[in-house]
Amino acid sequence: MATRRRFLKLTVAAGLAPAVVSAQGKAKVVVIGGGFGGATAARTLKALQPSLDVTLVEPNPVYTSCPFSNSVLANLREIDQQQFRYAGIKGAGVTVAETSATAVDSDAKSVTLANGNRLSYDRLIMSPGIDFTWGVISGYDEAAAQKMPHAWKAGAQTVLLRKQLQAMDDGGLVVMSAPANPFRCPPGPYERASLIAYWLKIWKPKSKLLLLDSKDAFSKQRLFQNGWAELYPGVIEWVPLSQGGKVTSVDPATLTLTTEFGSHKAAVANVIPPQKAGAIATQAGVADRTGWCPVEPVAFESTLRPNIHVLGDAAIMGGMPKSAFAANAQAKVCAAALVKLLAGEKPQDPIVINTCYSLVAADYGISIAGVYRPDKGQLTDIPGAGGTSPLVAVGGLRGQEALYASSWFRTITAETFG
Amino acid sequence: MHRALLPGLASMILLAGPATAADAPPGASSCTGCHAPKKVADSVIPHIAGRKAEDIVSFMREYRSGAWPSSVMGRIAKGFDDRQTEAIAAWFAAQPE
Repeated sequence: MATRRRFLKLTVAAGLAPAVVSAQGKAKVVVIGGGFGGATAARTLKALQPSLDVTLVEPNPVYTSCPFSNSVLANLREIDQQQFRYAGIKGAGVTVAETSATAVDSDAKSVTLANGNRLSYDRLIMSPGIDFTWGVISGYDEAAAQKMPHAWKAGAQTVLLRKQLQAMDDGGLVVMSAPANPFRCPPGPYERASLIAYWLKIWKPKSKLLLLDSKDAFSKQRLFQNGWAELYPGVIEWVPLSQGGKVTSVDPATLTLTTEFGSHKAAVANVIPPQKAGAIATQAGVADRTGWCPVEPVAFESTLRPNIHVLGDAAIMGGMPKSAFAANAQAKVCAAALVKLLAGEKPQDPIVINTCYSLVAADYGISIAGVYRPDKGQLTDIPGAGGTSPLVAVGGLRGQEALYASSWFRTITAETFG
Repeated sequence: MHRALLPGLASMILLAGPATAADAPPGASSCTGCHAPKKVADSVIPHIAGRKAEDIVSFMREYRSGAWPSSVMGRIAKGFDDRQTEAIAAWFAAQPE
C-alpha cells in the first residue's frame, strides 16, 4: 500500500498519469464551486467521514456573498463584510484547488482543471451557481454590464452599482429590470428596490425608482408592496409584464431600457438578466434544454449523468427556490447521502427546509419559509407548512425579523466557511 | 415528564445503535442553517444543540399550534409530525452544547 501510494505520488509528480490519482482505497469526492452549496458540501463530507478525500475546486480565493449584498448598495454594509475565505475549509481537511474546472468527463469520472491537472472522482458534486444568458435582452452583454450593472453576482458589480447610485444627481431616475422565473433569489430584486428606496429617501429624496418586471407576480409580493406604500409612498413604481414591464433591449451608451410598450432613460440602470446554470453544468451534460439541471430528490444526483450531484441555484429542485439557505441545506443532505452511497447503503428520504428573509428597510424584515420532501420524483412542498410573514405584523415582528435576518447571515456563513 | 412526552424514544435510540452524523433524522441538518452548532456571537437565534429533548419538543408543538408566537418557526414546525419532531429533538439533545 505504502509502495503503491509512493508510486502514485511519483507518477503524478512526473505528470505521467494524472487520471490514476484516485486509484487507491480512499473514496474521492470532487466538489465544483465554493459557494453556499459547494463549500458546505465539502466541509460536511469531511465532518461526516474524515477518511474521505475531498477536493473543492474554486478559482476565487475570496467568496463574495450575494445575501446581504443589497445592504451594501444602501450603504448599510461594506463589501468586505460580504467576503469569506477558504482557510476554515482547508482547516477542516478539504483540499482546495484554486483553479476552475474546464471539463467534466462523466464516463471517465474525471474533472479537467484550468491548471492542466485532472482529478478523478467516485462522486462529483457540482454547485456552479448561475451564469447569465447574454443577448436575450438585446444589447445587454458583458461590456454593457459595466455601464448598466447586474450586481447579481456580488463583488465588483455591487461596488460599481453603489458608486453609480452615490454619484447620481438628486432627482435622477433609477431603473431596474427583473427577469422572468426561474432565477437566483426570487425576492432579491424586490429587496433591492426596497433598500435603494430606503437609501434614496435619505440621500436623494427627489429621486424615484422604476422596476420593470418580466413577470406579473413575485415572491412576498403583498408584503413588499405594503412595505413600499408604508415606507416609500410614490418612490417605487413596479411595472408588471402585462403593463409593459418586459425589457427587450437596452442601449448602454444612453442608459435606455426599451420594453414592449416604450423606452425609459435612466440615471442609473440595474439590469438583472435571465439566467441559467453555471457553464460547466452544460459542458458536463447535466443541464437540460431549460439551462438548469434536473436531479432526483434524495441525493440530488443528476437525472442526466450518473455519479454527478447538482446543488443550489444551478439545480431544478422542485418547489425549492434558488436561495443560499436552500443550497446550504441541500448540501448537508447531499453529503450525508453520499456517505451512505459510498458505503453501498441506501440514503434515507430527506426533509429539507428553506428560510429566506428580506429587508424592506434596515429595521424592517419579512420572511418566507418552506418544508420539502421527495414526492413523485421531485422535492415538493409539505402541505400546510411554510408560507410568508403575516400581512399584519404584531409585537414588533418586522423589527424582529430584520434581527433574525442578520443573525441568520452570521450563522450560515460561519457554518459554510468556518 | 420526560417519559410522558417522549414514549419509547430512549429505547428507540438504543435499538438503533451508535448513530453516525450521517444518520441525523430527516430535517435535522437544515436546522443548523440558523441554529448554529457552535455559539455564534451577536445572534438572536437560540442555540439548540445540547438542549433537553423535551424542551425542544414542547417549543415545536407550541410553535406549530401558534400558542407560542414566532417568526418562521410556526411555519416550519407544521412540516413535521410528532414522531419526526421527537427524533430531531433527541438528535439535538445528544449534540455537544
